[in-house]
Amino acid sequence: MLNRIVQPELKAIDKIEFIAPKEYKINPHVSLYHMSDVPNETTRFDLYFDAGKCRGGNSMASFVNGLLLSGTKHKTSIEINNEINGKGGFYESGISQENSVISVYSLRENVLDIFNTIKDAIKNVAFIEKEVLEFLSDRKQGFNISLQKVNYLAQRAFQEDLFNSNDNYAKATELSDFENVNIHDLKDFHSEFYLKGLTKIVVLGDLDEETIQHFIFGGNEFAINTKPKYIDEIQNNAGIRHVEKSNSVQSAIRVGKVLFNKNHPDYLDFLVLNTILGDYFGSRLMSNIREDKGYTYGIGTMVAELNNVGYFMVATEVGTDLKEATLKEIKFEFERLKTDFVKPEELELVQNYMLGQLLKSADGPYAMTDLFISVELHDLDLEFYNRAIASLNSINVERIQELAVKYLNWDDMSIVTAG
Amino acid sequence: MLKYDRFTLKNGLTVLFHKDTTTPLSVVNTLYDVGARDESEDKTGFAHLFEHLMFGGSINIADFDTPLQLAGGENNAFTSNDVTNYYDVLPANNIETALWLESDRMLSLAFTEKSLEVQRSVVIEEFKQRYLNQPYGDVWLELRPLAYKEHSYKWATIGKELSHIEDATMDNVKSFFKKHYSPSNAVLCIAGNFELEEVKSLVQKWYSDIPSGTKYNRNLTKEPEQKEFREKTIERDVPTNAFYYAFKMPNRLHHDFFTVDTLSDALGRDKSSSLYLSLKKGQNLVSDIGAYITGSIDEGLLVISGKLNDGVSFDDFDQALWKELDDFKSRAISADDLEKIMNKIRTAKEFEDMGILNRAMNLCSYELLGDVSLINKESEIYHNITADNIQRVAKSILQKSSCSLLKVKAK
Repeated sequence: MLNRIVQPELKAIDKIEFIAPKEYKINPHVSLYHMSDVPNETTRFDLYFDAGKCRGGNSMASFVNGLLLSGTKHKTSIEINNEINGKGGFYESGISQENSVISVYSLRENVLDIFNTIKDAIKNVAFIEKEVLEFLSDRKQGFNISLQKVNYLAQRAFQEDLFNSNDNYAKATELSDFENVNIHDLKDFHSEFYLKGLTKIVVLGDLDEETIQHFIFGGNEFAINTKPKYIDEIQNNAGIRHVEKSNSVQSAIRVGKVLFNKNHPDYLDFLVLNTILGDYFGSRLMSNIREDKGYTYGIGTMVAELNNVGYFMVATEVGTDLKEATLKEIKFEFERLKTDFVKPEELELVQNYMLGQLLKSADGPYAMTDLFISVELHDLDLEFYNRAIASLNSINVERIQELAVKYLNWDDMSIVTAG
Repeated sequence: MLKYDRFTLKNGLTVLFHKDTTTPLSVVNTLYDVGARDESEDKTGFAHLFEHLMFGGSINIADFDTPLQLAGGENNAFTSNDVTNYYDVLPANNIETALWLESDRMLSLAFTEKSLEVQRSVVIEEFKQRYLNQPYGDVWLELRPLAYKEHSYKWATIGKELSHIEDATMDNVKSFFKKHYSPSNAVLCIAGNFELEEVKSLVQKWYSDIPSGTKYNRNLTKEPEQKEFREKTIERDVPTNAFYYAFKMPNRLHHDFFTVDTLSDALGRDKSSSLYLSLKKGQNLVSDIGAYITGSIDEGLLVISGKLNDGVSFDDFDQALWKELDDFKSRAISADDLEKIMNKIRTAKEFEDMGILNRAMNLCSYELLGDVSLINKESEIYHNITADNIQRVAKSILQKSSCSLLKVKAK
């Protein structure tokens, strides 16, 4: 008779193989990383520029990023898009606090043509008035739609409180940004942070040496000459505030504080605490607030990282009448981790789960490269993940409690509700 | 070419095995042949609510997630108008845990009152979060009943209204399980670095004692042919006017299905598509415009949607759009343009096939459609699409008399 009561025997993950992409130095500050071990026709390349939000106020970084393909003296935006789309390329661009990243997905046979098109478009973008006005009008419309979303409103206010001590990091998009921008400023930003602002190229695909040299040669024109500097310290504005949005049926909630990144000695162990609290389906917050009380469709926590700093955040959306009750439960879960030891079964579960997730994060050339880039950002190498496995295997319940006491103080948190 | 093996158990369970030697992970994907289209009109949202209940413990196992996480895995599920799909991704050497869990919940659920009570609230919050509290979030709740008058596609997977979820009883839940959740109504796909014999014996071990259940015979009311233009305007607290033109298109197995998909790409996939070029870059009437298909198993929709620029009226846009569609129908697209569209389709396909989970889900979908081998014919079908074919389907589909227009007007 089949035993359906007892879980089949579990086997441990004995080893995870981490493979680094090959590094080519473009100059002392800029490298190209190539992952060649791709078993099919797909390719991706990412261009990183030192043109993130922190480099310019009033949405300048976001506007320039969005206008990169808006046309040159010799080519219209239509022609540029047609060259990329016609070769089957998918173009994505976006900014974070400290980076501007352009990613392009295509097949091997077209990757160089598309790279050439994009390189030329970025280098020679002319900020043609008609294109700029059209772009601003579209973006403004999108911004007005975002203002209707409680999630956006909460995140926006949270960023302000989190990066409180540094204006360039803290300041959110305002309606006035769309009126006050002028073409001269766009050009200045572009020439300062794009023409000499490339910080990294990542290439994935089964591509030959000649192709890689072409990327290096092309990238060299944009390569940054000095090591860019980013903030080393931030201080969040602790306390609670509410952003009113009438007629909402749900409120968005953010709770968090400034923390650290992979270079901090507590980072790896904190990740375990973070997972227990809110970073998997069976987490404390999900079990309590969704699966026991049904207050929300989802609640989660995350540790986000910048070049030199990082932060911790809880995010959820709950029925408007459940806002206070939810905050009370989040606080309760913080306190419980500080006063009571995690049970050994729960710790074992999280250890196994995190190891499984790491295995998944290293599965295949694309995931592996992203894993590599997330340590390279902090001047670390893949050895970091072997240390992560060792620390995951050796952490104990006392250490988790110690970190909870150290970092999960309700009074240190920036708390935002919107709705 | 995607390789797979197929076998069936005596209880009617169809099993597909896809071998992938390059990954340390494995996938267990279970597709149940039930979606929102199989609900009755007074109990909508049930297939989706039920998907939530599938995580609330099964007959022999109190909790689904914990053992899977203990095995280093993760899982999720989704419900569409056509199907309900559950997947587990976990280290290959622990695959047996997923088979133990999935087979037990196919055998029977625990049916606890607590689980029903909590998941009702969770789904109501999901309803609010995704449909009610988002600008334009309720568009599909309005568009479906406009485009479908008889077929059960007229309601969304989340359901017609919150009360249907609130009123769900344990008896409803049990009978739904009995009707739809059994080996004869499921397709299982295992993917990973295994041998076929190994897979056969594991599946045999965990699934062979599950009673086969009764094959559910779908007998849905067919949607009568639409013969008149339909239009509805809703006023909402949104900053911008938005439009949704929904055209009836053939079902998933129709020989024109992929041609219509390509037509939607030609009209509105990206910034090189014809509607974007004419209505956005040429006339600057919209801030964005796109076209896509719902891709449903029964007769679906090709949708053209976007947002108007400030100062542009719905009527001005409407005239310009129909003029552009008439132009499009009057000429075949050039060989050069067709090649460009196909390049994009090829790139997307190559990326899509890369993930082992995607491959496992696709195999199950094709099996459910009736012929898993179709999965390897898709590329050839696209390859054989001609400009003339696209023009032909454009003429037959892009007609005002089979169009339903939803306008969202800013208050």
